[in-house]
Amino acid sequence: MNIVEVHNAVKHFNRGRIRALNDVSLAVPKGSAFGLLGPNGAGKTTLVKMLLGILYPTSGSATLFGQSISQPTVRDKVGYLPENHRYPDFLKGNEVLDYYGQFSAVPKESRQKRAPELLKLVGMEKWGTTKIKKYSKGMMQRLGLAVALMNDPELLFLDEPTDGVDPIGRKEIRDFIQQLKTQGKTIFINSHLLSEVELVCDSVAIMNKGKLVVQGRVDQLTASGHSYRVQTGTISPDVLITLKSKFANLEASNSHLQVTVQDYAELNSLIDQLRKHQIELQAVLPHRRTLEESFFAAIQGAASGDFNEMNIPADKL
Amino acid sequence: MKFRAIILYTLRESLAKKTFMGFFVITTIVHLLFIFALNVDIVSGGQAAISLFGKDMPEALEMEKLMQGFKIMMSALAVLMLTGGIFLAIFATGSLVPNMLEKGSVDLILSRPIPRWQLLLGRYIGAVGLVAINVAYMTVGVWLIISLKIGLWHWPFLLSGVIIVIAFASLYAIMTFVGVTVRNSGVSMMAAWFVMFFSPLLLERDKIYALLSKKVYQWLLDGIYYIVPRTAELGKMTGEMVAGKPIVDWSPLVQSLLVGASFLAAAAFIFHKKDF
Repeated sequence: MNIVEVHNAVKHFNRGRIRALNDVSLAVPKGSAFGLLGPNGAGKTTLVKMLLGILYPTSGSATLFGQSISQPTVRDKVGYLPENHRYPDFLKGNEVLDYYGQFSAVPKESRQKRAPELLKLVGMEKWGTTKIKKYSKGMMQRLGLAVALMNDPELLFLDEPTDGVDPIGRKEIRDFIQQLKTQGKTIFINSHLLSEVELVCDSVAIMNKGKLVVQGRVDQLTASGHSYRVQTGTISPDVLITLKSKFANLEASNSHLQVTVQDYAELNSLIDQLRKHQIELQAVLPHRRTLEESFFAAIQGAASGDFNEMNIPADKL
Repeated sequence: MKFRAIILYTLRESLAKKTFMGFFVITTIVHLLFIFALNVDIVSGGQAAISLFGKDMPEALEMEKLMQGFKIMMSALAVLMLTGGIFLAIFATGSLVPNMLEKGSVDLILSRPIPRWQLLLGRYIGAVGLVAINVAYMTVGVWLIISLKIGLWHWPFLLSGVIIVIAFASLYAIMTFVGVTVRNSGVSMMAAWFVMFFSPLLLERDKIYALLSKKVYQWLLDGIYYIVPRTAELGKMTGEMVAGKPIVDWSPLVQSLLVGASFLAAAAFIFHKKDF
């Protein structure tokens, strides 16, 4: 079941002069961690804002939990951590949690129970009675995360969740997201930090200039076909020349070979050749691109108009 | 629960603002002035002595004349409170709606499962509610001090508080409309003050007609007169009410309420349609 579905969403600003979303369709399955990536101005925040009822689509439709996003009640079980959020600075940490809990109709008993629990969870248990104007940026981010969880959401939107947080805090937030995943919550992350998205997300979509250029599972997007890294002992130059003559996509480095083959038979043929020349075979590893490499490939592909090859249908995610 | 939370949150935010504290402090200073500056001795139904700010009034009056003078004084005081009270209330509440719509805040509030019209109405009720509390403190306080010091309990004076709140509520609807449209507290306050200070001119517009070169300007003035709250007439009505005179024309009150409701509905409509 898909928790989030977007169908042909279009959003224009300034009477069509700015096309923030251009026929975007995507789906996020229940219990998954989904990363939305893209350069600045790609339309990521516009898409999230549209899903949360903060702005309206020019055309197209979207659902959360199978219900139209036009119904405010659809957000009963949604948590949101916006980028550059501004909580009222006259409130204390636990008051912020209490008010925002009330806005989501969390009963008083639950609020009183959950507020200290959540503050502890985000490492802020000693700061609940301090006015938030004294908080640092990282502390505000942690508080924002606690607020987003106050209504025990089934779907969580996190816009740049580790923004302003130190490396230790980032690790804690990543672990925390993993923990939420194990609880079966669906997480929708907007982030520029590709390495972090790669660490926590199951599937991603890459947007550029209002269009969705790629979407798929992280392992699918980072796979490089039949590309392998073959770790070996020393190879003499003569042998290397022989190998290169037989395998066109072969590159040699200090202690390994990087090769792209047509199929497993060709890979086995390479291994046979190495054994024939009595070269020590230490490891054969499938080569994976980083998400960053996939991202740039997608953005460059989008610029040249060739970006559909990696699109994976929503029902296959 | 969510609607109530918006109202309570608005009250909490208002209390945290120094402008509201300023309103409260000014009101308290007015109370203290009346406590220490007004001194009246009434002996056997007549005035033995009266002094204000330490100055003795020239002659003692009969009770009937005293009552008449007393009512006029209370009436003038009520009009003064209406003008001053609304002026301060506009200042104290001007930023509430634009603050809610600021970048970083609006996303947080709109992403909650609350219909937008409820958000705006909750904000409106919270602001008007707090002004009502402040106005009640001001009106009842002044009335109690004067009544206790003079010994005359002039109940109609309390009605001035009701009129002040109604007049403010209609002006605050305009402020809410402007706040939603332009998202700027300064412009929002200016709109309310403009209506408030332009109102006496509109009331006397038949005297201005002669100065106008074209008939169209006359129609324009008439048009404006019927689409804004009639605060000047509300002030006049308050004075008459407190002075014990019968009210023959309730239209300023009705029109102000209707105009307020219309602006509030328009603000809710725009807020509902707007992208943030």
